[in-house]
Amino acid sequence: MSLGRRDFLGLAAASSVTLLAGKSLANEQQLPKECKDACAVLVDTAVCIGCRKCEWACNRQHNLSNQDMAAFDDKTIFKIQRRPDDKAYTVVNEFRDPSNPEKPYYTKVQCMHCLDPACVSACIVGALEKLPNGPVVYDAWKCIGCRYCIVACPFQIPAYEYDNALTPQVRKCTFCTERNLAEGNVPACVEACPNEALTFGTRDDLIGLAHARIKAYPDRYVDHVYGEHEVGGTSWMYLAPADFKNTELPELPPDRIPPNTENIQHAVFKWFVPPLALYGLLGLIMASKPDKENEQEAEK
Amino acid sequence: MISKKYMPAVAVVMVLLLSYLVSGSDISQRDSQGPKIDCQECHICDVPTGRRPCLKTCPRTAMVHQAVKHDLSEAPDSMLLDELVDEYQAVHFNHKLHAEMAEMGGDCVTCHHYSPKGHIPPCKECHGGEENPNNLNQPTLKGAYHRQCLSCHREWSHDTKCVVCHIPAAGTTIADHPPDSTDIMGISHPVITEPVKKVYHTPYEPGEIVTFQHKEHIDLFGFRCVDCHRKENCSYCHDIQRPATTSKTQEEVHAICNDCHIDDECSKCHDVKERPGFSHNTTGWPLNRYHNTLDCWACHPTGKRISKLSKMCASCHAGWSQENFKHAVTGLRLDEVHSEMDCSDCHTDNQYDEDPVCSDCHDDDRTAESAPPGMKIKHPGTQSSR
Repeated sequence: MSLGRRDFLGLAAASSVTLLAGKSLANEQQLPKECKDACAVLVDTAVCIGCRKCEWACNRQHNLSNQDMAAFDDKTIFKIQRRPDDKAYTVVNEFRDPSNPEKPYYTKVQCMHCLDPACVSACIVGALEKLPNGPVVYDAWKCIGCRYCIVACPFQIPAYEYDNALTPQVRKCTFCTERNLAEGNVPACVEACPNEALTFGTRDDLIGLAHARIKAYPDRYVDHVYGEHEVGGTSWMYLAPADFKNTELPELPPDRIPPNTENIQHAVFKWFVPPLALYGLLGLIMASKPDKENEQEAEK
Repeated sequence: MISKKYMPAVAVVMVLLLSYLVSGSDISQRDSQGPKIDCQECHICDVPTGRRPCLKTCPRTAMVHQAVKHDLSEAPDSMLLDELVDEYQAVHFNHKLHAEMAEMGGDCVTCHHYSPKGHIPPCKECHGGEENPNNLNQPTLKGAYHRQCLSCHREWSHDTKCVVCHIPAAGTTIADHPPDSTDIMGISHPVITEPVKKVYHTPYEPGEIVTFQHKEHIDLFGFRCVDCHRKENCSYCHDIQRPATTSKTQEEVHAICNDCHIDDECSKCHDVKERPGFSHNTTGWPLNRYHNTLDCWACHPTGKRISKLSKMCASCHAGWSQENFKHAVTGLRLDEVHSEMDCSDCHTDNQYDEDPVCSDCHDDDRTAESAPPGMKIKHPGTQSSR
């Protein structure tokens, strides 16, 4: 969790050296995933069967409270729509396409790991960070608990441990960075999915894959890869059999969110021009104004 | 132009070039014998290798359409899927039962999305082993099996528990075991009986009753079940949560009939009473025992629409003449005197569907019925109900 960017890169470099050393011995099939650029996951909701094994795997990976597999066989939970919280970083919800209401489909939600995350921009202490290989990670040591990230997130993902009085943390999907994705591991949920509705790979590959699937099965999917452009692109992307308006995924513009505030706030201090201009103006006003007291004294 | 000392080198180059061309033509000949599949149908790149096969998304649609229907007898009745024997006992897959059910919902290609002629590839031939990072397009064996099984099973059992198919191996910890799945071995799907007719009571007031001749449509037009029963997958019958009656819109009700009957009036199907099935007798041309054995299309070759034919024998039997026509096929073998006569002596103006005229020779009021000009031959089934 508290793995810094430098540490991570160092570790990645070290692991790649060991991998290169072991490469000659390794079988072709056992090569690590080449996901150094930008890891991403494609969620194919047309393939998802709503078994909730991803929820179970996530809870086990992060040692969350509910790890009883039998509890995840309960389908009645789909009657209510759930949101990720501090005790479940990912949840699966059931949706129905109005034109085909007999066949439900399922959408797994978690942190989308945006390419330009609003939470990172909003964090005033740098506790949230976008790693170059995809994940948006959280450093509890830096966090001061202001919860600006919770307000900033367009997907309303970060959750706060309100019942923890002394050491509350912001909780969200970690993209399983602790599993060392650079070493060929995949996130716990991806590994657990029996139907392989979740595909892990580089973002470019997955966008290509998503469009290829839409082209191959125009009846099965709507022609929209959610997350390809939304809020400037996200690392988690979705394919769906019906319009995304049916799901809880919000309709968002393709514009990145951080520039909305950064353009104003950063501009204020750019080159230190506005402060200098302000103080210069004040100085000019002061200088141009006749010093009445001194004048009066002089008259006397 | 070319000095002599280079001649051997030129000769070598020429020989190499020739051998290349010859070998190239060999390859093209070999390819032309096999299935004609363009490399680009499966591979994205020009030079696919074992390590980087750069395969397109699977199943490849171009191949799906080339899929061949194999006979069920080629396949085993049941299979053991035992890739995970360390964790689970082998899954008993009753192939016969599933294949019988699949006939209504899209046939073998529902699962065998790639079934070329000859050898039927098992799932693991393409979907093998650990996920290959270079081939994200293809699910691994785990994904392929689960997608095939669960895409239907979750629809009608509404259950995605592992133990629905998997029995944990000894020493593992999944608590509730299902009944032994071996008890489904050898079970066949009950034969689906085809109704002769279906009578529908509709809200259409001028004609509330629609009689659909189910058997007739199959026999006459050669429909397969799936031609009309579309999207009737397993869950259509087996879904425990599916409401017993589903309301359909007027368009949905008429959609299947309209494939052929789009130009017909309502009264083509709607009536105030139940209608009998089609009988060729009602057309004014009762079929004799020869015509009765024919397929409709042998005489009405104009596609979906049945057109009225000329009653003239020669309109179909162009080769018949006075010399080669055997009158016995009509059920009457002519006696010696009549067989010497011309056809037109009795059948005036070659009107063979009308009664023959006897009065040209015979003065009494005889007819062909009262005094047959030969011997009547009894053929069973001369009068057809078809």
